[in-house]
Amino acid sequence: MKLSVIKQRTLWWTVSILITMVGIIAMGLSWQQFQAPLRPGLDFVGGTRLQLTRDCAQPQVCDTSLQTAQVREVLTPLGLEASSIQVVGDDRQSLSIRTKTLDVEQRAQLQDTLEEALGPFDPQSIQIDSVGPVIGQQLFASGLLALLVAFAGIVVYLSLRFQLDYAVFAIVALFHDVFITLSIFAILGLTLGVEVDSLFIVALLTIVGFSVNDTVVIYDRIRETIKLHPQMHIDEVVDDSVRQTLTRSINTTLTTVLTLISIVLFGGDTLKFFALALIVGFISGAYSSIFIASTLLALWREKSGHAIATPASDPLPDQPDSVV
Amino acid sequence: MARQRLLLGLVVALAIAAVMAIIQVPTRLGLDLRGGSQLTLQVQPTQEIPDITDRNMEAVRQVVEGRVNGLGVSESVVQILGNDQLLVQLPGISDPEQAERVLGGTAQLEFRPQKPGTEQQLTVENQVLQSELSELEALRAAQDNQDDGAASTPETIEQLSPAERQARLEALQQSVQDSEAAIANLFESTQLTGDKLEDAIARPNNAGTGWEVVIEFTSEGADLFADMTRRIAGTGRSVGIFLDNRLISAPSVDVEFAETGITGGGAVISGNFDAQAARELEIQLRGGALPLPVEVVENRTVGPSLGRDSIRSSLYAAVGGLILVLIFMVAYYRLPGLLADLALVVYALLTWAAFNLLGVTITLPGIAGFILSIGMAVDANVLIFERTREELRAGKTLYRSVESGFHRAFSSILDSNVTTLIACAALFWFGAGLVKGFALTLAIGVAISMFTAVTCSRSLLLFVLSWAQFRKPELFCPGLYQARS
Repeated sequence: MKLSVIKQRTLWWTVSILITMVGIIAMGLSWQQFQAPLRPGLDFVGGTRLQLTRDCAQPQVCDTSLQTAQVREVLTPLGLEASSIQVVGDDRQSLSIRTKTLDVEQRAQLQDTLEEALGPFDPQSIQIDSVGPVIGQQLFASGLLALLVAFAGIVVYLSLRFQLDYAVFAIVALFHDVFITLSIFAILGLTLGVEVDSLFIVALLTIVGFSVNDTVVIYDRIRETIKLHPQMHIDEVVDDSVRQTLTRSINTTLTTVLTLISIVLFGGDTLKFFALALIVGFISGAYSSIFIASTLLALWREKSGHAIATPASDPLPDQPDSVV
Repeated sequence: MARQRLLLGLVVALAIAAVMAIIQVPTRLGLDLRGGSQLTLQVQPTQEIPDITDRNMEAVRQVVEGRVNGLGVSESVVQILGNDQLLVQLPGISDPEQAERVLGGTAQLEFRPQKPGTEQQLTVENQVLQSELSELEALRAAQDNQDDGAASTPETIEQLSPAERQARLEALQQSVQDSEAAIANLFESTQLTGDKLEDAIARPNNAGTGWEVVIEFTSEGADLFADMTRRIAGTGRSVGIFLDNRLISAPSVDVEFAETGITGGGAVISGNFDAQAARELEIQLRGGALPLPVEVVENRTVGPSLGRDSIRSSLYAAVGGLILVLIFMVAYYRLPGLLADLALVVYALLTWAAFNLLGVTITLPGIAGFILSIGMAVDANVLIFERTREELRAGKTLYRSVESGFHRAFSSILDSNVTTLIACAALFWFGAGLVKGFALTLAIGVAISMFTAVTCSRSLLLFVLSWAQFRKPELFCPGLYQARS
């Protein structure tokens, strides 16, 4: 059986549209709950997160495991009962408390009160993340700006190296990948409480770089095939090119995802969801390059009357690699 | 063939140099890996100074740097961030609260007259303080050197164990604080604070032999200053200039001002200033003159043992990722896969060495960028080998297939890497802190992977092809003959 992306394009588009719809619904629900399309983390809304581990080197400190209710009791007199409290770690001896933004005095008071009630904490394993609302907005704004500039840069580069229509559809595929990643994380935010932080923006930008990477390889092959067979119909060109680069697309995605799985398994809490975002984005990137960017290009060329590229209308400069 | 040998020699030499660099030059770890605090301070405009200028920022930076030094943290960094923020990095800090308290306050400059009868005491206390400060300096230098692997410190310090050194450092800091408090105690508190100082400018003195600092008060400050100087002129006591309760200068007032004091709101502080010292005093005065409050708007503190855990887990992730990729390449691509694996190891070495040599600070996302680039570095090889297989299936000879595999895959490799670099550049320009680290490590990784994938694996392949026993197409493309028949 031969793969023909052109014949089955309605199927692939439907799949993408369905996921997108689910994503829109998830983001809508998120908006109602958090006033944001995804569950925003500390980095964006500001607040203080305190992670403390009891000092188990001292006798009797760690005899019992920590209880959320017990911690909440401690927080109530301080007016922090609305904070989120998590007991973490395999031996249930670590606390992660997220509150509104606290200044030094308030934080010190919180720490002292906790220490009094729960026993001494190990200063070596403390983690404090305190982010003011100003910083959160800055991070968001700079992230968005970086994303837009990356888009623009890629459009310009692809228009120069290929043609404008290639660039436009590469960007469509890009939006597709970014949107799918956003959708999955909106769902994760609703179901598992996964929050997005500034690393998530980094993940999105990396997906942008990679997704287009995959698209470029297929485009490169399409361009080459057109040059070798100027009389071939664009549908056939695209089908052939996708088939020829398919193993490469799968293998490259596989090797990258393998390293990412390694980060998910061993990389620790901070990087886990970062790696997960990349896995979603890269798989979606491979998918969109194969099934979306190429089929849209074919459709566009057909509708605009360029289904068959004649040598005269081919504006591409001669490339040395066309001589075989 | 001579060219391949030469290139191969170059690759081997580079790999050896990389190993040397990794051993010799220490990897710089970010605060999230080694433990420490990173604070962002926001400088707030006030009614008097609604617009914060670069000059204001520089002055505030100096004040904050002075406070950081007071904390006694080695290798601390104070950087201006954007128009109105400061980034303070304090590695290995054990008391984040203290740091935040000390750094978050507004600079307090005060002019205080010396109390009568304390002339002797001031001299003595000052000598004590100076000797404590110089020992502190030596200790800090020793600690920095210890991290850098070099040593040029007094022997007495050299003999101390790290724990003893730390204890001595803390004891010294305490006695410096005590001395400073004792000195402050020799002066009377006044109303003449920094907000009544209009400006301070360092300039060469008239004689041209040294430098002096001109200060200028507001009209309210001028009266207070005249009054103060009248009281101590000619007595041998001095005007103590205090910044954050620390004496930064103690000029005396000539007897000629005993009648009226120094009037008119202007004064010149002269002494044995060289250009640098005068400039420093100017900035301290101006910084103190700026009643610009700073607020800690971000604090990220990671305890040292948490940082160690992060290093360990990311090391597992990196090694795990590398091994998975190595296995995949050999299993799928056979002989070329094995050579690509060699190139990949060279790649990992070169990249690590580049990080060390370029002084890139490795953060947690940075490590993620590195691990990711391992996965990516293979992409170029995958492209090339897939091309090679296609050419073989098309019936070309092995040598020509390999050659054109490299040749024809190159434009894809170039395009796809450039687009990744564009994303990296966007991240680097607009991102801050950790994000920058990720972008830089990924970009370095991509650039080096282009080199190793194209040069290193190519030379290796062509070199191997010079042996007849390896010149078997099925080592490159299993099942080739079944496919052809």
